[in-house]
Amino acid sequence: MSWQRVVNTSLFLFLVFILQETAVARINFPFNGFSLYIATLMVLLSLEDRTGSLVFGFAGGMIIDLSPSASSPFGQWALVMTFIGYLFSVNRETIGDFVDRPVAFVIFVCLSSALAMLAFLIIGTLLGQANGGLMRNLSLILANSLWTFLFVPIFLPLIIRIRKMLLTNRERV
Amino acid sequence: MAKGGGNRSRLLLVLLLVSSLFLITLDLRGINLASSIRSGVGTALSPVENLFSKIFSPIGSFTSDLRNLGKSNSKIADLTSEIDKLKAEKIIDEDTVGQLSQLKNILDLAGRGGYKIVAARVINRGSSATFKQTITIDVGSKNGITKNMTVISESGLVGVVKSTTNNTSVVLLMSDPTFKIGVRIAGTQSIGVVSGQGGNSYLLQLLDATGEIKVGDALVARGSQGGMPFVPGVPVGVVTTVQSNASSITQNADVVGISNLDNIGVVAVVVTSPNEGPRDSLIPKPKPTVTVYVTPTPTPSK
Repeated sequence: MSWQRVVNTSLFLFLVFILQETAVARINFPFNGFSLYIATLMVLLSLEDRTGSLVFGFAGGMIIDLSPSASSPFGQWALVMTFIGYLFSVNRETIGDFVDRPVAFVIFVCLSSALAMLAFLIIGTLLGQANGGLMRNLSLILANSLWTFLFVPIFLPLIIRIRKMLLTNRERV
Repeated sequence: MAKGGGNRSRLLLVLLLVSSLFLITLDLRGINLASSIRSGVGTALSPVENLFSKIFSPIGSFTSDLRNLGKSNSKIADLTSEIDKLKAEKIIDEDTVGQLSQLKNILDLAGRGGYKIVAARVINRGSSATFKQTITIDVGSKNGITKNMTVISESGLVGVVKSTTNNTSVVLLMSDPTFKIGVRIAGTQSIGVVSGQGGNSYLLQLLDATGEIKVGDALVARGSQGGMPFVPGVPVGVVTTVQSNASSITQNADVVGISNLDNIGVVAVVVTSPNEGPRDSLIPKPKPTVTVYVTPTPTPSK
């Protein structure tokens, strides 16, 4: 994997992060919110190879850590996303191709985004953070998974196209 | 080959996990890496946020509008919000009149003292959890405010600028127990130090042991070199009680602050002080009282 690709993909993720922070976060979704950024990151991680999942998991987590509204320690999301990237890298073969098994692919993305949020909460609790009531957090995670399930099929083709653009010539071959 | 690749991935995983844990540890150990980066990102995102706020405000409530489609509740909600808006406007109007009056008096005081000021609104009060008595005002370094500038209200001293950001400043109030200011008794010219006590009463310690303090003496700021942190001549308070203690080396007195710090909405930051201090000219003059002499006239006898 080239540095150029790491930089380009991180820039793309940063743009999605800005869109999430400035636009998507303003929309009052019924039940609870939706994180376009986490969904996009999960789709990207599921399309990457072993090294890519780890590197983009870490980079993507660092970008969420930049959020001005975050009160968690800097690096917590990076830790969580590196862990999720590792899970993707280990279980990559079981996911299958998004063309062959699109529903399974979308469900996997939803579950992984829920797992990422859950892991964040657990690590936060271990670090002594107060993140609110359990039921509220669970409903937030469930609602996010629901919205991810509904929205991922819509923007999945776009992310796949953008990812292809971000590949270097050698990687395209 | 595959084994080598696996080892590399494992090494990468360990490296990334260690990096994350290192960052978390730095943050938890109090090395404020996150706050500066996050505030930088916040500053960078604020124009985009403002733009999206304008564009997305109708979309933001789109989903809730969908849920209320066809319901008469929407009309009630509209009317209720209109009433709330009108009520808010009325409060704003009253607030504006109050602020205008305070601002007028501040400008009057600054004009008499020859101070160049920047007017500001009080936008926040410091949390009691910080154990500091502070206010936040809506002017900052962008408006030429720097640390240690004197802050005045319509009647006199309020405090000193403690820190600034681009658009806001934190002012340490004179009531804070750590606050001390050199003062001069108007008239006798004896000098002393006034210390904050946490409320609207202050302690005056006269430096001159033979000096004289009387109840009702007005105190003005002695001023600092370069006018920072205190510009000279700003009214500070009035002596309410003289503590007479023969064993004490210095003379002490209780002072009541000239500014009501619980009730300030508009203040001014003195950015430039005059070359020559205003001496005692800023002390509020007592209102003239009208004395009526009545001479009884004898009732005319019938």
